[in-house]
Amino acid sequence: MNRVYRLKFILWLVVGLASAVAAARFTQGLGAITNLSDPTPWGLWVGFDVMGGVALASGGFIMTAAVYIFRLERLHGVVRPAVLTAFLGYVAVAVGLLFDLGLPWNIWHMIVFWNPHSPLFEVGWCVMLYLTVLTLELFPVPAQEFSALAKVRRILVKGRLPLVVAGIGLSTLHQSSLGSLFLIMPYRLHPLWYSPILPLLFLISAIGLGMMMVTFESHSTAWLYRRKPETEALAPLGGAARWVLLLYMATRLADLAIRGQLRYLVTPGWHMALFWLEMSVMAIVPAILFSLPRVRRTSGGQWAAAGLGVFGVVMNRIDVGGLAHLSRGNHIYLPAWTEVAISAGVVAGATLAFLFMVERFRVWEQRPADPLADPHKLPEFDRVGMTWLGVPAIAGRMVYSLGFIFAAALGLALLAPQPAASRGVDPQPVHRARGGAILWIDGNLDGFGVAFPHDRIVKRLGGDTSCVQCHHMNLPRDRASGCYECHRDMYLTSDAFQHDWHASPEGGRLACVQCHPSQPRSAAGAKPCTGCHKDLTPAGATIPVKHYRAPGYVQSMHVLCINCHVQLAKQEGKPDFARCVTCHKERRGLTDSGDTTARPDAVRGILLPAMTR
Amino acid sequence: MKAAILTDTTKCIGCNECAIACKKANHLAPDSPRRWDAEDGLSARNWTSVVEGPNHTYARQQCRHCLEPACVSVCPVGALSKTALGPVVYDQSRCMGCRYCMMACAYGIPRYDWDQAVPYVRKCILCYDRIRTGGQPACTEACPAKATIFGDRDELLAEAHRRIAAAPGQYVNQVWGEHDLGGTSVISISNVDLSFLAPEHPAGSAPLPQTTALAMHAVPFAFTGVVAGMAGLNWIINRRMKRQTEGSDE
Amino acid sequence: MQAWIEFGRGPLFRLAFCLMVLGLLRVVVLTIVGIAEAYRRNSDRIVPWKAIARQTLGWLVPVRRLLGGRPVYSVTSFLFHVGLLAVPLFLAAHVRLWRGAVGFAWPALPQRPADYFTLLAIAAGAGLICGRVFHRGARALSRLQDYIWPPLLLAPFVTGYVCAHAALGPKVYQEMMLVHIYAADLIMLTIPFTKIAHCVLAPFSQAVTAVAWKFVPGAGQEVAATLGYAGLPIWVANSRSAPAAGDKKEALVK
Repeated sequence: MNRVYRLKFILWLVVGLASAVAAARFTQGLGAITNLSDPTPWGLWVGFDVMGGVALASGGFIMTAAVYIFRLERLHGVVRPAVLTAFLGYVAVAVGLLFDLGLPWNIWHMIVFWNPHSPLFEVGWCVMLYLTVLTLELFPVPAQEFSALAKVRRILVKGRLPLVVAGIGLSTLHQSSLGSLFLIMPYRLHPLWYSPILPLLFLISAIGLGMMMVTFESHSTAWLYRRKPETEALAPLGGAARWVLLLYMATRLADLAIRGQLRYLVTPGWHMALFWLEMSVMAIVPAILFSLPRVRRTSGGQWAAAGLGVFGVVMNRIDVGGLAHLSRGNHIYLPAWTEVAISAGVVAGATLAFLFMVERFRVWEQRPADPLADPHKLPEFDRVGMTWLGVPAIAGRMVYSLGFIFAAALGLALLAPQPAASRGVDPQPVHRARGGAILWIDGNLDGFGVAFPHDRIVKRLGGDTSCVQCHHMNLPRDRASGCYECHRDMYLTSDAFQHDWHASPEGGRLACVQCHPSQPRSAAGAKPCTGCHKDLTPAGATIPVKHYRAPGYVQSMHVLCINCHVQLAKQEGKPDFARCVTCHKERRGLTDSGDTTARPDAVRGILLPAMTR
Repeated sequence: MKAAILTDTTKCIGCNECAIACKKANHLAPDSPRRWDAEDGLSARNWTSVVEGPNHTYARQQCRHCLEPACVSVCPVGALSKTALGPVVYDQSRCMGCRYCMMACAYGIPRYDWDQAVPYVRKCILCYDRIRTGGQPACTEACPAKATIFGDRDELLAEAHRRIAAAPGQYVNQVWGEHDLGGTSVISISNVDLSFLAPEHPAGSAPLPQTTALAMHAVPFAFTGVVAGMAGLNWIINRRMKRQTEGSDE
Repeated sequence: MQAWIEFGRGPLFRLAFCLMVLGLLRVVVLTIVGIAEAYRRNSDRIVPWKAIARQTLGWLVPVRRLLGGRPVYSVTSFLFHVGLLAVPLFLAAHVRLWRGAVGFAWPALPQRPADYFTLLAIAAGAGLICGRVFHRGARALSRLQDYIWPPLLLAPFVTGYVCAHAALGPKVYQEMMLVHIYAADLIMLTIPFTKIAHCVLAPFSQAVTAVAWKFVPGAGQEVAATLGYAGLPIWVANSRSAPAAGDKKEALVK
């Protein structure tokens, strides 16, 4: 099958998955789908979507500078795709930012409420202005197709030089200001990354990245559309990138030396490993590769070296954005799959838009052939009518939409485990069983209970000595306390110990030191209950008391009864003995939806595990 | 008056009354442990907490209300501001949720409503509405041991130094918050080193907003320089190319 | 077993439900786009909206079809659809599951009518299967999925009814529940991709035919001439006076 067709299908899958995550992001908040936390409030979305995205879009100002300022006419062919990439890159940054901002609908506040001291304020303004410049720079390309826009197009082409100069100025500012963002975090960013010249380092690496990104993108799309790669024209770009990368390395190492932080380069640990990996991938290896003529002059070599460098610079941004931070307490931030899905979805969306643009408009000198039009393929006929179906207006829409909905449904299915609207189980106090020889057990008094033949069971279990088989814990001076004394809630675990009651006037009136003779405020040094209550657990009790947390009433009753019933049913060959209806004579009528006493969700969690045990 | 809080950890008995009073005064919802909580006990619904340090010392964690706050300087929409009275307050109607304040704060104080679809930044505001009308913060009012007290910053600093001088063996000879990051409105004295409250933050350092000031001041000059340089270069290159083509024509 | 049940009504149910909703949305959008495209390509842009509406409603309400060929089959089919929609959507237990999952719900059927609807759907479904299997014409027109669908649709009804009414041991109950849940999941997963998609496509099917399929003027005569029947009278759609002799042409021209 066709490369473009296959790639688009995959991209639609990614976009579908991201859409599902996006729905969860805006309904449940950031906490539900990210691994962000109070100690690590920025993560992948800032590091990759915003900082990486802006850096990746730097090809736009590098190429316009090279062609329109420095007049390197050889590179004219790659200007348009570079500007298009930059435009889509900044749009992707804006979209990614909408996911990351807690209150994205307030993003326009930056235009109205000013704080010129903030680097982020400056970045925001530069991005807004530069996006406008890019729109004007790009507009002549689609305008070519519409004769009505010819006049506007002529004006824009004429006024290109001021636009280009303004674009370079704005890019210089915000590419470096992304580094300024982190100047205020000397206690958060590791010394290998934190530097007063962080803005300069960001700018140099962005320039290198711009050259490599243009190379990488040109070769990738050439492969995709089976076009002739522009290897000759791009070779000097690789050579220039080498010098920029070498300058970057030198600046960074000199900075470390001047600040006296060189020792961290050899201090083993996470940060040292990260630094060397980052430096090799973003600068050292690409610089070496671009120095080899064999690499610099072949399309495969250019593609590999540039791709590696692009990956490395993006990695640098992600490191500064979160991975290279000093950890606070036990918090270690690693992005959740949902965060990765959103980032991937934004990139996939931008790529689809790129492919759409190059197929519809003259981004290249020659528009690529229709990806679905294969000259060697016979026309497809409808199997029933044997009529020619023609090429659909939206190529491959059946397959793309199928991929989209499948991925979206999968995402929604994976995302839902958090009960968004469930209130959980409300407390339901338990009332004591009433009766004599036969006890009516109905803890929440909803009328559906069990008639428990207490005396008959006592007889069966062995008369007066059999109490301890069920009654495993007694109140002081009591022989067989009722279940409800400790299992005080129908479904929730309750406290059999009652700490505060022991200190209260109506309770034990105990002073703290009477139970906590040593270490204050801790359970570790407390006296055991049996220190005072000698007869708390009766001798020979079959159910061990492990702690003073009593499970819910329903669960306790079921575990107590069902285990014996199941055993007896097997021993005596009476399967009916272990069925629900043996004890529950009345079926709970599911009469209307307003019934609040029956709780299927609680029952599901508690009853069924007890029954299958 | 410059409003301030002085906490003397030698007097604190760890009863948590300050945190409870804070919750009541600011109408904060009951809290339960969340995935995104930090270890110091602060959260979107707990604006102050009592942290246990070495030797059963109890210290208060809360916003320091820096004299030159990093959070205020980085907020791109000016949602955070340092009031003349002293507190650093938050205007939630301006906030756009970028969380730069949380990243910039050296003490890691601002917290976020991670579980809300409409989240805001949450932190201590020194009970601004109460102290503006002549009252004092809920926490200092509630303290039964007078371990945390409210007053004028200069007076409280003098009081802190007086206490240290009166019982030199009982205190570490340092007033936390006197000079740290340019000084803070919430100051502490203690019998132990209080660096466990803000681990990686060295005491007695320069205010953080200075770190970005240089870069931000350079912005207009950088822009003008780049634009002028590019335009000039282009003019020169164009002229040269023109001459060359003219030369080759002749 | 319990884990399988939880999976079936947890993640798998969510996947099936979301895929059903999105998949049905997809076929609706694709159909509308297809109609628009066909309309744009047509030389003849007259669309008989009134006739389309009349035919669509006619298929929805069985009154008109009672007068047609198979009144019993029509009524059975209608009743089957009623039971098919009422029970999954309005059974009290289902409504309650909904409320647990999304926090809101709608009024539910009382237990007794719900039981009747279930039995009605089972009986009508069984009738439909018989009608398809024992009628020669229906058999000739049936594809494989036509035989698979009715039993698959009935499986959750039968197991659900048994679970709700019979006094079963926990094990048998769970097995029944397993079948109930997985059959329902399978149904929802396949609805958008099979003929059951007519639940949303029904309003469009008449429009597709009317907009997309046109004959050139005089098509009938040309076909007749090609087949060697030139000169014979031609039966026109919607007219009751069909000549007895033109059986073959009827099928072709229509």
